Amino acid sequence: METPHYVAARVQRALAEDERTTELGIRVDVRGEEVYLRGQVSCDERRRQIENVAREAAPGLRVHNETTLVEVREAGEEEHL
Amino acid sequence: MRELRIAAVADIHLGEDLRGHYRKKIEGIERRADVLLVGGDLTRHGTISEGRVVAEELSGLPIPVVAVLGNHDYHSDHDQEIIDLLRDAGIVVLDDEGAVVSVDGVRLGIAGGKGFGGGFAGKCASEFGEPETKAFVRHTKEIAERWRRALKDLDADHKIVLSHYSPVKDTLMGEPPEIYPFLGSYMLAEAADAEGADLFIHGHAHAGTEKGVTPGGIRVRNVALPVIKHAYTVYCLNGDDC
Ligand SMILES: [Fe+2]
Ligand SMILES: [Fe+2]
Repeated sequence: METPHYVAARVQRALAEDERTTELGIRVDVRGEEVYLRGQVSCDERRRQIENVAREAAPGLRVHNETTLVEVREAGEEEHL
Repeated sequence: MRELRIAAVADIHLGEDLRGHYRKKIEGIERRADVLLVGGDLTRHGTISEGRVVAEELSGLPIPVVAVLGNHDYHSDHDQEIIDLLRDAGIVVLDDEGAVVSVDGVRLGIAGGKGFGGGFAGKCASEFGEPETKAFVRHTKEIAERWRRALKDLDADHKIVLSHYSPVKDTLMGEPPEIYPFLGSYMLAEAADAEGADLFIHGHAHAGTEKGVTPGGIRVRNVALPVIKHAYTVYCLNGDDC
Protein backbone atom coordinates (compact mmCIF):
# COMPACT_ATOMS: atom_id res chain seq x y z
CA MET A 1 0.00 0.00 0.00
CA GLU A 2 1.19 3.50 -0.81
CA THR A 3 2.27 5.65 2.14
CA PRO A 4 -0.78 7.72 3.22
CA HIS A 5 1.42 10.79 3.57
CA TYR A 6 2.19 10.84 -0.17
CA VAL A 7 -1.38 10.07 -1.15
CA ALA A 8 -2.53 13.09 0.86
CA ALA A 9 0.11 15.28 -0.79
CA ARG A 10 -0.94 14.10 -4.26
CA VAL A 11 -4.65 14.70 -3.61
CA GLN A 12 -3.96 18.14 -2.18
CA ARG A 13 -1.87 19.12 -5.19
CA ALA A 14 -4.50 17.79 -7.58
CA LEU A 15 -7.18 19.89 -5.86
CA ALA A 16 -5.00 22.99 -6.17
CA GLU A 17 -3.78 22.44 -9.73
CA ASP A 18 -6.73 20.79 -11.48
CA GLU A 19 -8.65 23.35 -13.53
CA ARG A 20 -11.95 21.90 -12.28
CA THR A 21 -11.16 22.77 -8.69
CA THR A 22 -8.21 25.17 -8.13
CA GLU A 23 -8.99 24.91 -4.43
CA LEU A 24 -6.02 25.73 -2.22
CA GLY A 25 -7.83 25.55 1.07
CA ILE A 26 -8.95 21.93 1.26
CA ARG A 27 -7.46 19.85 4.03
CA VAL A 28 -6.71 16.27 3.05
CA ASP A 29 -6.17 13.52 5.62
CA VAL A 30 -5.51 9.90 4.72
CA ARG A 31 -5.99 7.12 7.28
CA GLY A 32 -5.43 3.66 5.84
CA GLU A 33 -7.80 3.39 2.89
CA GLU A 34 -9.94 6.36 3.86
CA VAL A 35 -9.46 9.87 2.47
CA TYR A 36 -11.07 12.76 4.35
CA LEU A 37 -11.66 16.13 2.68
CA ARG A 38 -12.39 19.14 4.88
CA GLY A 39 -12.79 22.83 4.17
CA GLN A 40 -15.31 25.32 2.92
CA VAL A 41 -16.75 25.56 -0.57
CA SER A 42 -19.06 28.11 -2.13
CA CYS A 43 -21.48 25.95 -4.13
CA ASP A 44 -22.68 22.39 -4.59
CA GLU A 45 -21.12 22.04 -8.04
CA ARG A 46 -17.65 22.95 -6.69
CA ARG A 47 -18.10 20.50 -3.86
CA ARG A 48 -18.90 17.71 -6.33
CA GLN A 49 -15.87 18.55 -8.46
CA ILE A 50 -13.61 18.43 -5.40
CA GLU A 51 -14.83 14.92 -4.74
CA ASN A 52 -14.30 13.87 -8.39
CA VAL A 53 -10.76 15.22 -8.53
CA ALA A 54 -9.88 13.59 -5.18
CA ARG A 55 -11.24 10.22 -6.33
CA GLU A 56 -9.17 10.35 -9.51
CA ALA A 57 -6.04 11.22 -7.54
CA ALA A 58 -6.60 8.43 -5.01
CA PRO A 59 -7.94 5.46 -6.99
CA GLY A 60 -9.09 2.52 -4.89
CA LEU A 61 -9.43 4.56 -1.71
CA ARG A 62 -12.69 5.64 -0.09
CA VAL A 63 -13.19 9.39 -0.29
CA HIS A 64 -15.22 11.08 2.42
CA ASN A 65 -16.34 14.51 1.30
CA GLU A 66 -16.69 16.40 4.57
CA THR A 67 -16.40 19.85 3.01
CA THR A 68 -18.88 22.44 4.22
CA LEU A 69 -21.03 24.52 1.96
CA VAL A 70 -20.77 28.17 3.01
CA GLU A 71 -23.88 30.05 2.14
CA VAL A 72 -22.87 33.69 1.84
CA ARG A 73 -25.19 35.79 3.93
CA GLU A 74 -26.04 39.41 3.31
CA ALA A 75 -24.09 42.11 5.10
CA GLY A 76 -23.14 41.37 8.70
CA GLU A 77 -22.77 43.71 11.65
CA GLU A 78 -20.75 46.92 11.63
CA GLU A 79 -17.56 47.45 13.57
CA HIS A 80 -16.65 50.91 14.82
CA LEU A 81 -12.92 51.48 14.75
CA MET B 1 -15.86 65.38 9.61
CA ARG B 2 -18.50 62.69 9.05
CA GLU B 3 -18.06 59.02 9.78
CA LEU B 4 -16.89 56.81 6.89
CA ARG B 5 -18.45 53.40 6.41
CA ILE B 6 -16.09 51.01 4.65
CA ALA B 7 -17.55 47.78 3.24
CA ALA B 8 -14.89 45.15 2.60
CA VAL B 9 -14.67 41.61 1.22
CA ALA B 10 -12.05 39.41 -0.46
CA ASP B 11 -11.83 36.00 -2.12
CA ILE B 12 -15.18 36.15 -3.86
CA HIS B 13 -13.68 33.69 -6.44
CA LEU B 14 -16.36 34.28 -9.05
CA GLY B 15 -16.88 32.20 -12.17
CA GLU B 16 -19.64 31.42 -14.62
CA ASP B 17 -21.23 29.09 -12.06
CA LEU B 18 -21.76 31.93 -9.61
CA ARG B 19 -22.92 34.59 -12.08
CA GLY B 20 -25.56 36.82 -10.50
CA HIS B 21 -25.20 35.28 -7.03
CA TYR B 22 -22.86 37.80 -5.48
CA ARG B 23 -24.61 40.78 -7.04
CA LYS B 24 -27.87 39.81 -5.36
CA LYS B 25 -26.17 39.89 -1.95
CA ILE B 26 -24.78 43.39 -2.39
CA GLU B 27 -27.93 45.09 -3.65
CA GLY B 28 -28.70 48.02 -1.36
CA ILE B 29 -25.08 48.29 -0.18
CA GLU B 30 -25.29 52.08 -0.58
CA ARG B 31 -27.61 52.22 2.44
CA ARG B 32 -24.97 50.56 4.62
CA ALA B 33 -21.64 51.75 3.25
CA ASP B 34 -19.91 54.63 1.48
CA VAL B 35 -17.35 52.58 -0.43
CA LEU B 36 -16.70 48.90 -1.21
CA LEU B 37 -13.14 47.50 -1.02
CA VAL B 38 -12.42 44.13 -2.62
CA GLY B 39 -9.18 42.44 -1.54
CA GLY B 40 -8.32 40.14 -4.45
CA ASP B 41 -8.98 36.58 -5.61
CA LEU B 42 -11.86 37.92 -7.61
CA THR B 43 -11.77 34.86 -9.90
CA ARG B 44 -10.88 31.18 -9.64
CA HIS B 45 -8.50 30.75 -12.59
CA GLY B 46 -7.82 34.31 -13.66
CA THR B 47 -9.41 33.86 -17.07
CA ILE B 48 -10.83 36.74 -19.08
CA SER B 49 -14.34 35.25 -19.03
CA GLU B 50 -14.22 35.06 -15.23
CA GLY B 51 -12.91 38.62 -15.19
CA ARG B 52 -15.99 39.65 -17.17
CA VAL B 53 -18.26 38.03 -14.58
CA VAL B 54 -16.46 40.03 -11.86
CA ALA B 55 -16.85 43.26 -13.83
CA GLU B 56 -20.58 42.59 -14.25
CA GLU B 57 -21.13 41.75 -10.59
CA LEU B 58 -19.26 44.80 -9.28
CA SER B 59 -20.13 47.47 -11.84
CA GLY B 60 -22.86 50.07 -11.71
CA LEU B 61 -23.12 50.22 -7.91
CA PRO B 62 -24.13 53.61 -6.46
CA ILE B 63 -20.92 53.69 -4.34
CA PRO B 64 -17.27 53.60 -5.48
CA VAL B 65 -15.66 50.16 -5.72
CA VAL B 66 -11.91 49.80 -5.18
CA ALA B 67 -10.22 46.45 -5.82
CA VAL B 68 -6.86 44.67 -6.01
CA LEU B 69 -6.11 41.33 -7.65
CA GLY B 70 -5.13 38.13 -5.83
CA ASN B 71 -2.91 35.16 -6.74
CA HIS B 72 -5.80 33.34 -8.46
CA ASP B 73 -6.31 36.31 -10.76
CA TYR B 74 -2.72 35.84 -12.02
CA HIS B 75 -3.08 32.13 -12.75
CA SER B 76 -3.81 32.42 -16.50
CA ASP B 77 -1.37 35.30 -17.14
CA HIS B 78 -4.24 37.65 -17.99
CA ASP B 79 -3.86 39.90 -14.95
CA GLN B 80 -3.38 43.06 -17.01
CA GLU B 81 -6.41 42.31 -19.20
CA ILE B 82 -8.51 41.70 -16.08
CA ILE B 83 -7.33 44.99 -14.60
CA ASP B 84 -8.27 46.76 -17.86
CA LEU B 85 -11.73 45.30 -18.10
CA LEU B 86 -12.48 46.08 -14.44
CA ARG B 87 -11.33 49.65 -14.98
CA ASP B 88 -13.51 49.90 -18.09
CA ALA B 89 -16.42 48.85 -15.86
CA GLY B 90 -15.73 51.82 -13.57
CA ILE B 91 -13.92 49.92 -10.80
CA VAL B 92 -10.80 51.50 -9.31
CA VAL B 93 -8.06 48.86 -9.45
CA LEU B 94 -4.91 49.40 -7.38
CA ASP B 95 -1.80 47.81 -8.81
CA ASP B 96 0.81 48.96 -6.27
CA GLU B 97 -0.50 52.50 -6.22
CA GLY B 98 -2.87 54.81 -4.40
CA ALA B 99 -6.21 56.46 -5.16
CA VAL B 100 -8.44 58.93 -3.36
CA VAL B 101 -12.21 58.69 -3.33
CA SER B 102 -14.27 61.53 -1.99
CA VAL B 103 -17.31 60.85 0.21
CA ASP B 104 -19.30 64.01 0.99
CA GLY B 105 -16.10 66.00 1.01
CA VAL B 106 -14.19 63.51 3.17
CA ARG B 107 -11.15 62.22 1.29
CA LEU B 108 -10.47 58.52 1.71
CA GLY B 109 -7.06 57.44 0.44
CA ILE B 110 -6.49 53.79 -0.40
CA ALA B 111 -3.13 52.32 -1.33
CA GLY B 112 -2.10 48.79 -2.13
CA GLY B 113 -2.14 45.91 -4.56
CA LYS B 114 -1.82 42.15 -4.55
CA GLY B 115 1.10 41.98 -2.10
CA PHE B 116 3.10 38.77 -1.72
CA GLY B 117 4.55 36.30 0.79
CA GLY B 118 7.83 35.69 2.55
CA GLY B 119 6.80 35.15 6.13
CA PHE B 120 7.01 37.04 9.37
CA ALA B 121 9.79 38.57 11.41
CA GLY B 122 12.07 35.99 12.96
CA LYS B 123 10.79 33.20 10.70
CA CYS B 124 10.93 34.68 7.24
CA ALA B 125 12.76 34.06 4.00
CA SER B 126 15.67 36.34 3.17
CA GLU B 127 17.30 37.57 0.00
CA PHE B 128 20.08 35.00 0.11
CA GLY B 129 21.19 31.95 -1.86
CA GLU B 130 19.58 30.71 -5.06
CA PRO B 131 18.22 33.20 -7.58
CA GLU B 132 14.72 31.72 -7.12
CA THR B 133 14.76 32.48 -3.39
CA LYS B 134 16.15 35.94 -3.93
CA ALA B 135 13.55 36.72 -6.60
CA PHE B 136 10.74 35.61 -4.26
CA VAL B 137 11.89 37.86 -1.43
CA ARG B 138 12.76 40.74 -3.73
CA HIS B 139 9.27 40.71 -5.24
CA THR B 140 7.73 41.40 -1.81
CA LYS B 141 10.39 43.98 -0.96
CA GLU B 142 9.71 45.95 -4.14
CA ILE B 143 5.96 45.81 -3.59
CA ALA B 144 6.34 47.05 0.00
CA GLU B 145 8.52 49.92 -1.19
CA ARG B 146 5.94 50.96 -3.81
CA TRP B 147 3.17 50.86 -1.19
CA ARG B 148 5.22 52.99 1.21
CA ARG B 149 5.64 55.63 -1.48
CA ALA B 150 1.98 55.41 -2.52
CA LEU B 151 0.85 55.87 1.10
CA LYS B 152 3.19 58.81 1.58
CA ASP B 153 1.86 60.50 -1.56
CA LEU B 154 -1.80 60.13 -0.59
CA ASP B 155 -3.39 63.44 0.29
CA ALA B 156 -6.38 62.27 2.31
CA ASP B 157 -8.27 62.53 5.61
CA HIS B 158 -8.20 58.76 6.18
CA LYS B 159 -5.85 56.13 4.76
CA ILE B 160 -6.45 52.44 4.20
CA VAL B 161 -4.13 49.76 2.83
CA LEU B 162 -5.87 47.24 0.57
CA SER B 163 -4.00 43.99 -0.09
CA HIS B 164 -4.57 40.36 -0.93
CA TYR B 165 -1.71 38.94 1.18
CA SER B 166 -1.57 39.41 4.94
CA PRO B 167 0.77 41.82 6.76
CA VAL B 168 0.61 39.92 10.07
CA LYS B 169 0.31 36.45 11.57
CA ASP B 170 -2.65 37.37 13.80
CA THR B 171 -5.20 37.01 11.01
CA LEU B 172 -3.70 33.71 9.81
CA MET B 173 -4.69 31.89 12.97
CA GLY B 174 -6.47 28.73 11.82
CA GLU B 175 -4.14 28.21 8.85
CA PRO B 176 -1.32 25.63 9.17
CA PRO B 177 1.81 27.54 10.38
CA GLU B 178 3.87 25.70 7.74
CA ILE B 179 2.26 27.78 4.99
CA TYR B 180 2.46 31.21 6.67
CA PRO B 181 5.32 32.30 4.36
CA PHE B 182 2.94 31.84 1.41
CA LEU B 183 0.17 33.81 3.05
CA GLY B 184 1.90 37.10 3.73
CA SER B 185 4.89 39.11 4.75
CA TYR B 186 5.85 41.42 7.61
CA MET B 187 7.27 43.79 4.98
CA LEU B 188 3.71 44.80 4.05
CA ALA B 189 3.04 45.77 7.68
CA GLU B 190 6.36 47.59 7.88
CA ALA B 191 5.44 49.75 4.89
CA ALA B 192 2.07 50.64 6.39
CA ASP B 193 3.55 51.34 9.83
CA ALA B 194 6.21 53.61 8.31
CA GLU B 195 3.67 55.96 6.77
CA GLY B 196 0.63 55.34 8.96
CA ALA B 197 -2.88 54.18 8.05
CA ASP B 198 -6.25 53.78 9.76
CA LEU B 199 -6.89 50.24 8.61
CA PHE B 200 -5.23 47.36 6.71
CA ILE B 201 -7.63 45.13 4.74
CA HIS B 202 -6.57 41.78 3.26
CA GLY B 203 -7.83 38.35 2.23
CA HIS B 204 -6.15 35.15 0.94
CA ALA B 205 -6.21 33.27 4.27
CA HIS B 206 -9.53 31.45 3.85
CA ALA B 207 -9.06 29.52 7.10
CA GLY B 208 -7.67 32.47 9.05
CA THR B 209 -9.37 34.85 11.47
CA GLU B 210 -10.77 38.32 10.98
CA LYS B 211 -8.97 40.56 13.44
CA GLY B 212 -5.36 41.52 14.05
CA VAL B 213 -3.04 44.48 14.47
CA THR B 214 0.32 45.50 12.97
CA PRO B 215 3.39 45.95 15.21
CA GLY B 216 2.83 49.70 14.82
CA GLY B 217 -0.80 49.51 15.91
CA ILE B 218 -2.75 49.61 12.64
CA ARG B 219 -5.88 47.49 12.79
CA VAL B 220 -5.79 44.54 10.36
CA ARG B 221 -8.92 42.82 9.05
CA ASN B 222 -8.95 39.59 7.04
CA VAL B 223 -12.14 39.81 5.01
CA ALA B 224 -11.82 36.56 3.02
CA LEU B 225 -15.38 35.45 2.27
CA PRO B 226 -15.02 32.10 4.11
CA VAL B 227 -13.83 34.05 7.18
CA ILE B 228 -16.49 36.77 7.33
CA LYS B 229 -19.22 34.49 5.91
CA HIS B 230 -21.15 37.52 4.71
CA ALA B 231 -21.21 39.37 1.39
CA TYR B 232 -19.10 42.07 3.08
CA THR B 233 -18.31 43.52 6.49
CA VAL B 234 -18.64 47.20 7.34
CA TYR B 235 -15.94 49.09 9.28
CA CYS B 236 -16.74 52.60 10.47
CA LEU B 237 -13.97 55.14 10.68
CA ASN B 238 -15.12 57.75 13.12
CA GLY B 239 -15.41 61.39 12.25
CA ASP B 240 -14.64 64.27 14.62
CA ASP B 241 -17.91 63.96 16.49
CA CYS B 242 -17.18 60.50 17.88
FE1 LIG C 1 -8.65 33.04 -2.18
FE1 LIG D 1 -5.40 33.98 -2.54
